[in-house]
Amino acid sequence: MNFSDAVTLAPFIAAILVAASIIVVDFIAPGRKVPALAVTFIGLALVAVLVVLTGHDGKFTAFNGSYVVDPLTTFLDVLFVSIAALTVAFAPDYLEERKLPVAEFNAVLVFAMSGAMLLAGSADLLVLFLGLELMVLPGYVLAGYHKQDGFSTEGAIKYFLLGSFSSAIFLFGLAFVWGLTGTTRIAEVSTILGSIVAGAAPLSPGLGMGLAFLTTGVAFKIAAVPFHYWTPDAYQGSPTPVTGYLSVGPKVAAFALIIRLFGQALWPLAADWNVVVMVLAALTMTLGNLVALTQDNVKRMLAYSSIAHTGYMLVGLAAFGAGKIQGMEGLLYYSAAYVFMNLGAFAVIAAIQKRSGVTSNLSSFAGLVRREPGLALLLTLFLLSLTGIPPTAGFFGKFYVILAAVQAGGWLTALAILAVLNAAVAAFYYLRVVVYMFMRDPVGDIPVMPHGRLVWTGLAVATVMTIVLGLFPSVLLDIVGNAAAAIG
Amino acid sequence: MTALAGLPLVSLTIFLPLLGAILIGFTPSGRPNVARYMALGVALLAWVVSLALLVSFVATNGEFQFVDQASWIPMFGIQYKVGVDGLSLVLVVLTTTLTWISILASFSPIQNRVKEYMISFLVLEVGMIGVFVAMDLFLFYIFWELVLVPMYLIIGIWGGKNRIYATMKFVLYTLVGSLLMLVAILAAAFTYQGATGGWTNAFDIQALTAFAAQGNFNGTFGFVAFAAFALAFAIKVPMFPFHTWLPDAHVEAPTAGSVILAAVLLKLGGYGFIRLAVPLFPEAAQTWAPVIIVLSLIAIIYGAIVALVQPDLKKLVAYSSVSHMGFVTLGIFVFQQQGMQGAILQMVNHGLITGALFLLVGVIYERTHDRTIAKMGGLGAKTPVYAAAFGFFVFASVGLPGLSGFVGEFLVLVGTFATSPAAAAVAAFVMILAAGYLLWMFQRVAFGEVSDFLKGLGDHLTDMRPVEALTLVPLGALVVVFGLFPGLILDLVAGSVSNALAAVQQAAPIALGLWR
Repeated sequence: MNFSDAVTLAPFIAAILVAASIIVVDFIAPGRKVPALAVTFIGLALVAVLVVLTGHDGKFTAFNGSYVVDPLTTFLDVLFVSIAALTVAFAPDYLEERKLPVAEFNAVLVFAMSGAMLLAGSADLLVLFLGLELMVLPGYVLAGYHKQDGFSTEGAIKYFLLGSFSSAIFLFGLAFVWGLTGTTRIAEVSTILGSIVAGAAPLSPGLGMGLAFLTTGVAFKIAAVPFHYWTPDAYQGSPTPVTGYLSVGPKVAAFALIIRLFGQALWPLAADWNVVVMVLAALTMTLGNLVALTQDNVKRMLAYSSIAHTGYMLVGLAAFGAGKIQGMEGLLYYSAAYVFMNLGAFAVIAAIQKRSGVTSNLSSFAGLVRREPGLALLLTLFLLSLTGIPPTAGFFGKFYVILAAVQAGGWLTALAILAVLNAAVAAFYYLRVVVYMFMRDPVGDIPVMPHGRLVWTGLAVATVMTIVLGLFPSVLLDIVGNAAAAIG
Repeated sequence: MTALAGLPLVSLTIFLPLLGAILIGFTPSGRPNVARYMALGVALLAWVVSLALLVSFVATNGEFQFVDQASWIPMFGIQYKVGVDGLSLVLVVLTTTLTWISILASFSPIQNRVKEYMISFLVLEVGMIGVFVAMDLFLFYIFWELVLVPMYLIIGIWGGKNRIYATMKFVLYTLVGSLLMLVAILAAAFTYQGATGGWTNAFDIQALTAFAAQGNFNGTFGFVAFAAFALAFAIKVPMFPFHTWLPDAHVEAPTAGSVILAAVLLKLGGYGFIRLAVPLFPEAAQTWAPVIIVLSLIAIIYGAIVALVQPDLKKLVAYSSVSHMGFVTLGIFVFQQQGMQGAILQMVNHGLITGALFLLVGVIYERTHDRTIAKMGGLGAKTPVYAAAFGFFVFASVGLPGLSGFVGEFLVLVGTFATSPAAAAVAAFVMILAAGYLLWMFQRVAFGEVSDFLKGLGDHLTDMRPVEALTLVPLGALVVVFGLFPGLILDLVAGSVSNALAAVQQAAPIALGLWR
């Protein structure tokens, strides 16, 4: 390790240090929220600055080629820091009301973020796996964060069991790839696989098995149908701010993993895995949407809808697999759009559920516009964006992946048509929440509670991003283009 | 009118209502009158601007004028590009006129959440005008979808008893059509990009139209893409069998919602056919034309027959819309100059007349809280002014020569007769049916003994207030003017129509061996 290696890894190291110092601060001032939050936000800002400063236009590898900094790493890292910062903004109100500690939450969350960052920059299969585990382990803790709540614990256990199971499957798949190629460096794996494919040799059984295990493993992580069973329980049981984080953080991180693994290491086998990706995309968006239709609980509905969004993102991946760089750009754009709109939606739900005991059933949303017009309007915006109504971020995200799919042609056009039909189905359940908020009278007596300044600030950021990414997509298009070009 | 030449009049027409909506957002919610008068003021201002546009417009050969242009998403060649030709202009003025009338007509019926209602209405106006003036497909789509949200809220919040069902049905129908259109838009833009090697102008409607005229969207691609566009527009028009959302939406919507729905929203579909579907896919349009003509005839007959048996006033007018809009699609797809000009005139007429009929139904509903035809006997004796106004618009709707409804349908029939006499004969026969259901309804409502129901209302049943009359006067005047001088509109749109028809009249249907 030399100096430039250390500089390359600076954002990651800083993230770990931030997480550690939050714990230290909590030792010094136990149970105090303000110091912990201050350290978290200052630390995250520092990490973001480091990410941008250490960014490279080209490819810059460190640690003998096991870690890479390219525009993709920078883009994803900034996204991960945004996710963490927004989650930290939304959580304290909800946690305090339930007497849950804030400092530990922040520390665990930042650890998860550092894992995601490691994942985004990994150029080696083992670093990839390390990052994955560092990202998901804190996630299990967060899911069970409300430990007096049976549902939270149940969700956490399900999440943990299926999560570690899928990690094992994934690792098993990596072993196959290592066994056949003799290396764990992503670039070398790609070269060796390329020469195997170039020899026109059929897919060997070992490679086929490895591919199957890897696909299964990542399909669990992104909650693609039929590997999605952990999602609804984990999402519904978790404390709402955690659900918001789980629906975006691990998902985008898992897509980072897919990009690094399938888009780079296994790229020579694109023709083989792309068929699977297309089938997964079709199943995931259709089933996610159809089941979401029947849900009366908004959190659970958004859990299924997040499965559907995985499906749309997979459409982008499939277009990329078919050789269209626009597919990758669309996937990345969609991820950014999805982060802000989905976190925003969950933030509103968390705010509504601030008083302990308020459920996330549809009935809690009845007549919300009378009770809290601001929240009702914001949730409407986020839901319209999730539906994909212009001019919102969600629309342009869908526009981009569908554009790529149409461009790729063939079966992908069919996938694009399926995607838009699914969007119409999704409109039904998203708008149902709007119906409850605006067109029905309130049931029961839910007290109005004031929301902290942090919540409003976070919501303002999510709102502005949702609108700006919809109206002026150009601000992100170049960045996304460079990031996608880094893997092309 | 040189003073106006430098102003971005078209953009001003679009964004004035948006500005108004934002400003109304900042008014206190306890003062509904502030929101009401501000909305009316803004709508009138937009109307004045659109009239200025009309006055300074030079009717020539269907070129776009007052084009405002700015790069928006350069990576895909998407621009903010708006402008008007004769067709756009006619529909923009129709929109701005009916918007202020609708807002004025909402003053007394809408009593709760006035501020939000006015904001929705102005945003709706932004979307509608935007669709008519957009010269970029992406922008067109944005405005097309923008129309959806406020209308969803207007029906869902201020609608009748069954409003949630109606509004969901409206949204889902429209969304399915428009999303498939989005795929077709992307496919068309991508084809253009593939042929020209760059994204520049890939979404520009004029560039795409010129590209299509060279036969680039022919064959299977055009066949499928046309179907996707046509589905979106057919749902909006609505054509049989995609019309089922319309009666529900009309019945549940508040009066002004019904007015704007009938008068302008349905025209989005007709406009889309003329501006996009036909010129972009001339060959496919020829291929699909027989199907669309048959569906139009079914709509004309079916709408009339179903209207004949409706017990509810509003539903009757709603089904008569289906029938009248059938003439529009018929007139477009016979691909004759008179037919298409007639179709456009019919769109305007239908907007004026049906808009007025919905206003009139709203007037009586506000007093009686009922719309059952059977209960209304003898209105003529109790409310003579109302009955007279109602009679006037009923006759206009029937197609009395001298009033505008007649000219549009007549031109459509002339155009149809040139290509398919049988279709013209069927459609002409239905005009008799239209006289049947409308006059029979009018007879039951206006004449005869005053019904017990109306007697029971006593003094509540007052005649029209001046404000209500004021909303009807401009519509009535225009109906007379266009009935006597249809050339005012026909000359304005002649250039646009011949442009739209240029490619399609040359094109031969794709030989599919399916229906020929």
